[in-house]
Amino acid sequence: MNKTVLQIIRFVVLVLLQVLVINHIRLGGYVHPYIYLVFVMLLPFSTPKWQLLVLGFALGLTVDLFTGTPGLHAGATTLMAFSRPSIIKLISGNQKFENITEPNIGQLGGLWFFRYTLFLVLIHHFALFFLESFSFRLFGQVLLRILLSVPVSIFLIMMIMFIFKSEKKRE
Amino acid sequence: MNNLRRFILKYHFVILFILLEVISILLLANSQRFHRNRLVNTTNDAVGKVYEWSSEVSNYFRLNNANKQLAEENAMLRQQLSVVYDTTTCTYDITKGDTLFKYIPAQVVNNSTNQVNNYIIINKGSLDGIERDMSVISTDGIVGVVTDVSRHYASIMSLLHSKCVVGVRIKQSQELASLKWETNNYRYGMVEDIPTHILLEKGDTILTSSHSYIFPEDLMVGTVEEFYPTAVDALNKAKVRFATDFATLRHVYVIKDLHKPELDSLKARLQ
Repeated sequence: MNKTVLQIIRFVVLVLLQVLVINHIRLGGYVHPYIYLVFVMLLPFSTPKWQLLVLGFALGLTVDLFTGTPGLHAGATTLMAFSRPSIIKLISGNQKFENITEPNIGQLGGLWFFRYTLFLVLIHHFALFFLESFSFRLFGQVLLRILLSVPVSIFLIMMIMFIFKSEKKRE
Repeated sequence: MNNLRRFILKYHFVILFILLEVISILLLANSQRFHRNRLVNTTNDAVGKVYEWSSEVSNYFRLNNANKQLAEENAMLRQQLSVVYDTTTCTYDITKGDTLFKYIPAQVVNNSTNQVNNYIIINKGSLDGIERDMSVISTDGIVGVVTDVSRHYASIMSLLHSKCVVGVRIKQSQELASLKWETNNYRYGMVEDIPTHILLEKGDTILTSSHSYIFPEDLMVGTVEEFYPTAVDALNKAKVRFATDFATLRHVYVIKDLHKPELDSLKARLQ
């Protein structure tokens, strides 16, 4: 399948999954998992950096349109896209990705991918929840939301990754 | 210039990042100041469509639940109806449930329409909480004022009374006026003090005004049947067809204004 088409489908499916399904999950009011960032996480390693930013911004803004919070997800996702190259460098060290075109759990291993997810989700959620409260007044409450939401988001994202992985093997 | 281009090329990643973040924060700050951002409004239809599709699909999964809810709601409404339903008169008392006014249903036991001063007798009296000066309405419109009360009955001065004057309001123009019976036909009354600049047409609605002290505001009085603009008098006249059909009047409601004692004491202090 054409790579671009695959990316577009991934974009649409993830946004719809987020706004139509995940956003309706309310576990005690503090847990707000976000899985749409999988799109940015799975972009090929060869993606130009500026494209990362633009795609991240577009993804966040699309989610914003549905949640009626212009700029909120856009800001958080742009920050996440911005930090993606550094995070990859940080967790891979001297590891080389010669045959690997995009981050995927089958070739890079569960641990690598878990760390990758952990860092990016943390950055995204920190930015998102602080932007949402728009001040540091509710610091404790925001922190609690981050602490409770991050594990759920990571869990959901890892599950999605494993599903993608099994698809790859079947091909 | 060349340096600037090289600078931008070198740091394009950071510059673009800062630019996008600034846009995001501006959008966010704007959306917090105003209720909703223009950007969101313009694309609202598309977003709404997606949500609509989604709910169309998910509604199928909720049909079972929705059925249950509707059944429960039906049961609840039936129960409420049974409260409203008057078994003695076999009518639905739609006026129940008001907090400012208490409605006492009653039946007309005697009525006349062909006298100059017509009175109506109802089957509720002081034992049922009826007092003098309470207003009486039917489901169609206003009826009259309680003038005398016995233990089990009350007499009502109907609108069809030569001394009865009701403060009314023309619904469209909000203009206040007063209504009298013309003493010849039980279907029609006359509004004689309409300011000249107010022109009415057949079918215009006349309601009670808050100035009457007897009737609650905005009750149906009747509709304009004929309008008489006058060049001689300073005021226009209109013939009004009563909403209430006094000839067939059977069920009425006596209105107990729960704020009336308060209002009366205030008026007494003013005098």
